[in-house]
Amino acid sequence: MILFSKHFKLIVAAFCGLSLHAHGAQAPQHININQLSTTVEDVVVPLPNEIFGALNKLGAVNWKEHVRSDKGPNFTERPRIALLLGAVIADGFIAVQAEDAPAVKDIGQRVLGLAKGIGVGNSITPHAKAIIEAADKRNWENVRQELDRTQNSVQQAMNEVHDEKLSQLVSLGGWLRGTEVLTSVVKQHFSPDGAELLHQPDLLAYFQTRLKAMPEFNLPIIHQIQDALLEVKPLIDVGNAHIPAESVKKVNEITTRLGTGIVTKD
Amino acid sequence: MNGFAKILFRTSFLLGAVVIMQHASFASVDDAQSFALQAAEPYVKQGFQVREDYWGGDLASGEKKAVRQQLFKGNEYWFWLGTEVDRAKVSVHIYDSDGKLAEEPDSWEKGHFAAAHVIPKTTGSYFIIVSVEESPEERTHWALVYGFR
Repeated sequence: MILFSKHFKLIVAAFCGLSLHAHGAQAPQHININQLSTTVEDVVVPLPNEIFGALNKLGAVNWKEHVRSDKGPNFTERPRIALLLGAVIADGFIAVQAEDAPAVKDIGQRVLGLAKGIGVGNSITPHAKAIIEAADKRNWENVRQELDRTQNSVQQAMNEVHDEKLSQLVSLGGWLRGTEVLTSVVKQHFSPDGAELLHQPDLLAYFQTRLKAMPEFNLPIIHQIQDALLEVKPLIDVGNAHIPAESVKKVNEITTRLGTGIVTKD
Repeated sequence: MNGFAKILFRTSFLLGAVVIMQHASFASVDDAQSFALQAAEPYVKQGFQVREDYWGGDLASGEKKAVRQQLFKGNEYWFWLGTEVDRAKVSVHIYDSDGKLAEEPDSWEKGHFAAAHVIPKTTGSYFIIVSVEESPEERTHWALVYGFR
């Protein structure tokens, strides 16, 4: 019995050692967030489909009513094109959710046109083609992946020519359109879990900081967005409290107004 | 060894050295990203959508970096960390906005790969802490990719 016990202890010790080796050292259960002084500045802005995926899990969404594939105006100001490009890519994700192949194809063409307008058409052409081909085959997973690649390529191409600010506007345009649709869906069928998806105060602060650093983009739409983000902040920055239906409605009104501003000529 | 053979040998040696030096000097965050994506590969088959975007940089041994990320309740996330330095040991852990460890027990570390799994209990900001635990290099490139479903 003693021998068995010794062996058993050895086996347990060896197993623990192996387990520790595979999983590495134990991470502390708690850290002091305030002492994290080495935070990477640039957050990765979530793609609209990341939010849409979470929304889908709360119940069936009629995505078709949110599809938007109209061509819209042609802008000459690069910041306006960048904002619109982000919104149109978000529209692509919505069309994928709705499995609307003609809309996806139109959006693919529109993305290409806007990317050319901003000087990064070359890096987008293969993705636009891939989006259209995948939509023809109704391969939605590939369309989703190509939309992600499109946004990434646009932003990389912009960063390479030191147009980081335009790249941030692409993210902002996508985030605003995503938030507009999120609030529209949650407003129709309110649930605390749906409203909680709006709890994104750090992301909002990130965009506020970025916009402040763009004084050269002295355009009405940029000022409207800055003012609107100030309005939205107290509605979604609620700590551990629930976001009420009234706040969801308000954020929807604000983002719908901005969405119209982004696709409409002054 | 005749003269031609000597020249050939020396040229080959020089070319080899140049290739090795180029590899060492041009190793980059992109290489680290390839390894992070390699760690992510098996999860794609399980339905995880891996983002094209990623974070990267370089760290000394024992150094940490924190990345703030918005996560949504209802989704499930994996974060994969990789480096091209194959004798390095890296780790990645996820904490919620109160500083509480938020990852699932199946998170893992294997040499120059590590991964952390999180099913957010609330929608909000989370902190992803990446670390180079050990490395033979003075600075070690790292890249972090993530996927969700």
